[in-house]
Amino acid sequence: MEQKQIPQPPAWAKKLLRLYCDPRFLEEVEGDLEEEFLYQCNKASVSKARWDYSRSVLGFIKPFANRKKSNLVSPMLSNHFKISFRQLMKNKTFSFINISGLTLGFLCFILLTLYVHDELSFDLFHKDSSRIYRVLQHEKMDDGVMRHVATTAALVGPEAAAQFPEIESSLRISSIGRLTMGNDPANRGYEVITITDPNIFSFFDFPLLAGDPKTALVPPDVIVVSESLARKYFGTADVLGKRMWTSIVRNDKPVEFTISGVMKDFPKNSFIQFDVIFSDSSWPSMFPWYQDLISSDWVSNTYLTFLKLRDPATQHSVEPGITQLVKDHYPATRAFKSEFTLQPLSDIHLNSANIQDSDAAPNGMNPFYLYMFAGIGFLLLLIACLNYMNLSTAAALKRTREIGTRKTLGAQRMQLITQFITDSVVLSAIALVLALIIIQIILPAVNQFTDKELALTSLPLAWAAGILGVLFIAAILAALYPAFITARMTPADALKKEIRVGNSRLPLRKMLVVAQFTISIIMISSTLVIYEQLDYLRNKDIGIETENLVVIDINSGRLRRNFESIKAEFGSPSEVISVSTSTRVPGEWKSFPVATVRPQGEPIGKEMIYVGVDNDFLTTYDIKLKEGRNFNTGPADSTKVILTELAVKQLGLTNPVGQIVEIPTVRWGGSIEALENVFRAEVVGVVEDFHFESLRTDMKPIIFVAPNTPVQRIDYYTLKVKTNNWPGVIEKLQAINNTIDPENPLEYTFLDTRFEGFYKADAQRGQIFLVFSLVVVLIACMGLFALVSFAVETRVKEIGIRKVLGASVHNIVGMISKEFLMLIMIACLLAVPVAYLFMQQWLRDFAYRISPGIGVFVLAGLIIGLIAAITIGLRTIRAASVNPVKSLRSE
Amino acid sequence: MKRVSLGEFEEIVLLTVMLLEGNAYGVTIMHQIIEQTGRSVRLNQVHASLQRLEDKGMIKSKMSAPTNERGGRRKRLFTITFYGQKTLEEIQAVRANLWGMISGLKNS
Repeated sequence: MEQKQIPQPPAWAKKLLRLYCDPRFLEEVEGDLEEEFLYQCNKASVSKARWDYSRSVLGFIKPFANRKKSNLVSPMLSNHFKISFRQLMKNKTFSFINISGLTLGFLCFILLTLYVHDELSFDLFHKDSSRIYRVLQHEKMDDGVMRHVATTAALVGPEAAAQFPEIESSLRISSIGRLTMGNDPANRGYEVITITDPNIFSFFDFPLLAGDPKTALVPPDVIVVSESLARKYFGTADVLGKRMWTSIVRNDKPVEFTISGVMKDFPKNSFIQFDVIFSDSSWPSMFPWYQDLISSDWVSNTYLTFLKLRDPATQHSVEPGITQLVKDHYPATRAFKSEFTLQPLSDIHLNSANIQDSDAAPNGMNPFYLYMFAGIGFLLLLIACLNYMNLSTAAALKRTREIGTRKTLGAQRMQLITQFITDSVVLSAIALVLALIIIQIILPAVNQFTDKELALTSLPLAWAAGILGVLFIAAILAALYPAFITARMTPADALKKEIRVGNSRLPLRKMLVVAQFTISIIMISSTLVIYEQLDYLRNKDIGIETENLVVIDINSGRLRRNFESIKAEFGSPSEVISVSTSTRVPGEWKSFPVATVRPQGEPIGKEMIYVGVDNDFLTTYDIKLKEGRNFNTGPADSTKVILTELAVKQLGLTNPVGQIVEIPTVRWGGSIEALENVFRAEVVGVVEDFHFESLRTDMKPIIFVAPNTPVQRIDYYTLKVKTNNWPGVIEKLQAINNTIDPENPLEYTFLDTRFEGFYKADAQRGQIFLVFSLVVVLIACMGLFALVSFAVETRVKEIGIRKVLGASVHNIVGMISKEFLMLIMIACLLAVPVAYLFMQQWLRDFAYRISPGIGVFVLAGLIIGLIAAITIGLRTIRAASVNPVKSLRSE
Repeated sequence: MKRVSLGEFEEIVLLTVMLLEGNAYGVTIMHQIIEQTGRSVRLNQVHASLQRLEDKGMIKSKMSAPTNERGGRRKRLFTITFYGQKTLEEIQAVRANLWGMISGLKNS
């Protein structure tokens, strides 16, 4: 009882003492320490006593730790370590090259492992991640094409969860456009509207910093915001219960939402990313149609639907059940041609390439790149190890005297081999520590660049152990070759230093150099191809003008009404050359409608991008009219359309102007909507083709209609501006916007930046490739340098004699360089086909691509050749210019 | 004659062991040294020194009977050996001799 009130010495110190102290002395030492501790407690203070205790425990390590004799390190092994360190200190250049090569290799390998692990760990942080699935709809289209959609109708999730006991719960998430937010009119921004079922915080593991996860999203007119959004608008994360102005209007008044929860920002490795969640129950009062949707919808594609199964094994038995369920409720007027499957949560990030409406996964990743990065990681490790092998073999041949002595004194083969393995492990350990230190230093920059949250500590134990295992095995394997070579030598040869190191004895080491340079050339030429392709994408004429165009997003009714007068206002500054309004713009970042268009009377149509434009669109975007006429001003042309040449071709129209086309359905992302009345329109004009989307996809046909058709309202103004003072123009535009709509800030983008954004990820990968190529080349050059120095050193006498006999520096450099340059040539020949195939694979991702010519590979070869020649030259010139007196005088 | 090597601190520890005859163990020795010399000494230094002295054969030790103090842990009690005593006396003699010579020099 009393014991508890007595102050205790620090527990860690006690443990530490027991850990190292010789048991024979433990008792008295502990006793003395404790007695003194209590004495100090009474005399001075508890904190001083604790401090003294800790200091003494640390101090005891010195006299007492070595008394605990360990049998782990045998005298022989400690001798191995000693020799290893001596060897390192003796050959400083070799050691430096060796360690830096290994460090670079390890560094890249660990970094890439972190990256790959991060990609593979997407969405796994939810504790139920293995039981969560996303419902996919696979629908067979009229033209026979299968359409895969990640969204489903409103009732699929809840009804399935109610019907099937295998399903524990369901969750729906829907993003339905954007709104303006912010109490302060000077600090407002646009946010995506996301609606979810109230159980999101129990379904997934997104922690709330404030608010009740169970009830936060239950009442109407509440929102849950992320920490960063709270900081953005309020300057603090402590916003629970505060109200927030939005641009959503109910009964002609903006709705204020109460913040009922603050969530931690979603981890970067979550495919679900949003900053504000609206409660589902707010919606029906604002939009009457929403009530209909959630109570009767079995058809649309509106919700990402997640199901949590009780047992993952039931996945395949639940799937047909869901299909049947939807089929039973499908309206009789529509044909049911779908099938439903469940996609595991962990699959979404890497395996959603052909799935529509998966744009909730903006950070989606093509697994091709993942394999590529993993491949590069292992290649780099391989190269670093080859380098080590090469260098240590060279170094081993210099250590023949040591080896000879060991052999004469009766060393066994195994002991010699152990010595080499010890060398390698010691070196690897040093390199590993260096690599880890460097990684810690550069990780923030890497995270900034890749927009990830990589950390050494995020690696699970199994992965860390895996890395260590791989590195350890690599280190041992790298040591085996030099070990066996030297173990084979006879002591007499070794002592006489008479190892033939002529050309015939080094085929393996030469092969290693060839392998390294093959990889280097593959990397360099791939980098060149990537940059060439990016250049091509940026400079390809896409058929429209993208420079000097400012696109203004329409976010409110005020900006949308009376677009003719608003156009005139935006056109008033003298810098603005023309203004056009349209429903969608090229380089579109929202979903755009795709209409099925057919010539009058035909049963089957073609899908075309459907854009409503005014009469200034063609001039603003520099699109040339081929036939017919432009739209006229005024409402007269509301049943007229303009087609692109490609659209005309696909419809098979020979004399398009004046013909009638029909539009029966329009598809929005995954949702197909039949028009109430088939839209019939007359073709009045044909324009040149242009690219509406990025060059990854094929050019699509486009049908232009007048603005504000039944299908869609205008959403953008595009301004063609000629100015040298962009900030001034933007200020003017903001002022104009404020007079029209003081509540919502001006939202604008530059169209060329938008198109550039399409290739941002590729540009980033290009940079990654460049960096790793440089690393590979660097390591390969270190290896080459070492090999050349070795060759030169063993031929010092030969060079001296040749010089005496009249050879010039020139001759000698040529003689030594020649054989190494041959190796580079061989590497070139090997690398080109591999690089070519690899790049073909990569380019397949783009609908429009370069076909890499021989030039790229020649260039890559030349670059490598040049670098290699410099490396070789540096070393040989030095050797060749040595005064022969020096090299011949010794002995 | 075997060379006597005794560090300055060791000498003090040895003297203290002699002084505390019968009750000389880590804590008491340390306290005594602190009291007499005013230096700050830590237990580990005392123990290290005691170990060296024991290795040199100047002191010997035995474990005390367990008491209720220190959680029932026994103490290691040190006593000075004949060799230790001899060594101290030798040092004393050498010094006294030297001092004597010094004072003789001054007086003459």
